[in-house]
Amino acid sequence: MKLAFTQEQEQLRRDIRAYMQELMTDELRAELHQDFKGEGGGPLWKECMRKLGRDGWIGLGWPKEYGGMEKGPMEQYIFFAEVAKAGFPFPFLTSESVGPALASFGDEDLKNEVIPKILSGATNICIGYSEPGAGTDLASLKTRAVKGDDGYYTINGQKMWTSLAEFADYIWLAARTGDEEKLGKHGSISMFLIPMDTPGISITPVYTLGSVRTNATYLQDVRVHESRLVGAENAGWKVIMSQLNRERLALVSHGPSTAFLRKVCEYAADTTLPNGERLLDQDWVKMNLAKARQGFEAIRMICYKQAYEIAKTGNLDMAEASSAKIFGSEFLVEATRGLMEVLGYASTMHMGSQHNVLGGEMERMYRTLSILTFGGGTNEIQRDIISIFGLSMPRPMRA
Amino acid sequence: MDFTITDEERDITTLASQILTDNVSPQDLHQYDSRDITRFDAALWGQLAESGLLGIAISEDHGGMGFGFGHLCLLIEECGRVLAPVPVVPTCLSALAIQQFGGAADSAVLADVVSGKAVLSAAIHEDCNDDIYAPTCEVAAGRLTGAKHGVPYFEQAQSLLVVAVEGGETGLYLADPAHESAQGTALWTTTMEPQSYVTFAGTPARKLGDAAAVTWFLERYITALCAYQVGACEKMLRLTAEYTTERQQFGVPIASFQAVGHRAANCYIDATCLRLVVQQAVSKLDAGEDAATAVNVAKSWCGDASHRISTSTQHLHGGMGVDRDYSLWRYALWAKQNELQLGSTTYHLRQLGDAIAAGDFDIDL
Ligand SMILES: Cc1cc2nc3c(=O)[nH]c(=O)nc-3n(C[C@H](O)[C@H](O)[C@H](O)COP(=O)(O)OP(=O)(O)OC[C@H]3O[C@@H](n4cnc5c(N)ncnc54)[C@H](O)[C@@H]3O)c2cc1C
Repeated sequence: MKLAFTQEQEQLRRDIRAYMQELMTDELRAELHQDFKGEGGGPLWKECMRKLGRDGWIGLGWPKEYGGMEKGPMEQYIFFAEVAKAGFPFPFLTSESVGPALASFGDEDLKNEVIPKILSGATNICIGYSEPGAGTDLASLKTRAVKGDDGYYTINGQKMWTSLAEFADYIWLAARTGDEEKLGKHGSISMFLIPMDTPGISITPVYTLGSVRTNATYLQDVRVHESRLVGAENAGWKVIMSQLNRERLALVSHGPSTAFLRKVCEYAADTTLPNGERLLDQDWVKMNLAKARQGFEAIRMICYKQAYEIAKTGNLDMAEASSAKIFGSEFLVEATRGLMEVLGYASTMHMGSQHNVLGGEMERMYRTLSILTFGGGTNEIQRDIISIFGLSMPRPMRA
Repeated sequence: MDFTITDEERDITTLASQILTDNVSPQDLHQYDSRDITRFDAALWGQLAESGLLGIAISEDHGGMGFGFGHLCLLIEECGRVLAPVPVVPTCLSALAIQQFGGAADSAVLADVVSGKAVLSAAIHEDCNDDIYAPTCEVAAGRLTGAKHGVPYFEQAQSLLVVAVEGGETGLYLADPAHESAQGTALWTTTMEPQSYVTFAGTPARKLGDAAAVTWFLERYITALCAYQVGACEKMLRLTAEYTTERQQFGVPIASFQAVGHRAANCYIDATCLRLVVQQAVSKLDAGEDAATAVNVAKSWCGDASHRISTSTQHLHGGMGVDRDYSLWRYALWAKQNELQLGSTTYHLRQLGDAIAAGDFDIDL
């Protein structure tokens, strides 16, 4: 056991950090700081995605046959963390989550159509899983795809919380294709990858607490050829599970939290109180910062451990990955509270306000954190996973 | 970031686990639950010596195995898993420091540690002093005066490491515990581990090293206690998973109540974080890197995780958790002792806070 980076990994981190610093211009920041534009989609952001594609970064972990750099999971994680530290809204779900699932399960034509566009930063994919009646119990989804004799499916239903749909080119859609009674609720779902401009698809915006826009997506008699199936008919659940597993690690990287900790430390070092002392030298401030550091160090190690597991076995360790997801999301909420105390009342001022602190980033940040505890697989289910797979306890009772 | 457990490491864990689980059952530990018998299993000590494990981190020149601190921590973790009634931590950690800073004159004591003949101890804590790095025990002209609290296995120890101050400088000293000027008062500790309150009135003491040696020694001692708690915490968790799976109420295993499963899952998360931050500290110490922050992080986690896992696993057992005929209650004692030994969570967070105030802002540079 040797818990340190290789020289190449250290170099890679320095390279990514320098590259991202250059990428994050003031103009781009201004674009991202607009309400409901923080997740990208603006012209400067699109330009940056193309640049990231041209310079090979999007394909960092992809096999050479797709034009990728074929770096290992540890290098990919270093990339996640550095990009997140820089504050660039990288659409990880497209390149790291849906993309690899498509590469594993899609047929050749579909892969040839979509994967080069993913790696060049030219396309975005939104995820159509959740529905008004299907959240945590995703397999109870009701959107239906009925196959006709001509090889076309007709899809009807409503999706909820379809993030990025307003600038996505495709929707990664889960729909019921089989007889639920006969095949079970998990065995009757299929995955499709459908162009957003297919007739019958429409969206309406949903604005959320964190100034993040998401959408309700309506599908009315949407006609989709069977070649748009990802994996076999009724075999979609496996595809969904493989995608969700990859999503988990990117969700809780230690990147953003440690970047904020650093900024708050710098602010406290530069701030003088009326009695002439530095804010950073107050006992309570040091304690709040130390508590944040204590937890972030653990998040960092648990994420590296997962990257190591993927490199070694190809899979996450189920119970440890769930631990990372739960602790990463819940601790971030607590630590942010302590960091905002250090910044003081001014930390509640909006990015657009005069006299805000750290450009108002904390004010936006605290509003975005609550989604992490239930999104990406709610923490209650993660705890179930730990008790079942990590502790060999019986499955919890379900009504 | 290589978390791979080498064959060598696995062999050590297996060997230690075999000897310890064969020799330490809750029934075996029962005899030490009163003050009548000293908590020291001489036969087990002999077996650990015979297997070579006591010399795991002692060089081959002194008859040891010649592995590093990380390997020693594997043995200590297994000791924590069963709460082994033997002074592995004070003996092996003191031996490590003697090996690092001692001279030719010390090779005999190292050989005695390897063969199981010698028990060593370390005097670190002081009463009414909240900083283990700033002792008041004083050395002048080779003589030690002052008092130390909670000195483990003082009565059995052949040699004693002491953290003391000389001319304003903290240093690491070797003292003779049998000298008449060193007077021990036996304490009644929460774990029943034999410890003494020791007063020194001009006890001969030889300097092993300066403040850097003290840091070297304390960082490893602290991390060793954390490794002990990694084993102890995981055992509490396993006992709880098994017990709640068997115990039935309302006609079902209590583990199938989500509230029970989730509280156990919280313990699992704590145990996982503890293991990883301790591995980080061990790895840095083994590589000879600056480990100050990693050690503060590890010990603060050790206190938090031990406390939470201990109280949660007690709760999930209901009355069985406090029953002295079942094994869990003893783990609660060690959780508390090791939470407070060599600096509480708050102490280590304060140190971490001081490091941050001095400019240590970045988690990865
Ligand atoms: C900003 C945002 C963006 C999103 N983006 C997308 C997207 O792009 N694509 C997409 O498909 N979805 C997206 N989602 C949806 C997200 O995945 C769901 O919110 C999530 O799956 C939870 O479902 P729900 O909101 O219906 O909550 P529910 O499932 O109704 O859960 C409510 C509460 O009940 C608890 N609960 C539920 N079941 C159990 C159980 N078995 N045991 C114990 N407790 C339980 C939950 O933990 C939670 O606390 C997004 C959501 C938000 C807010």
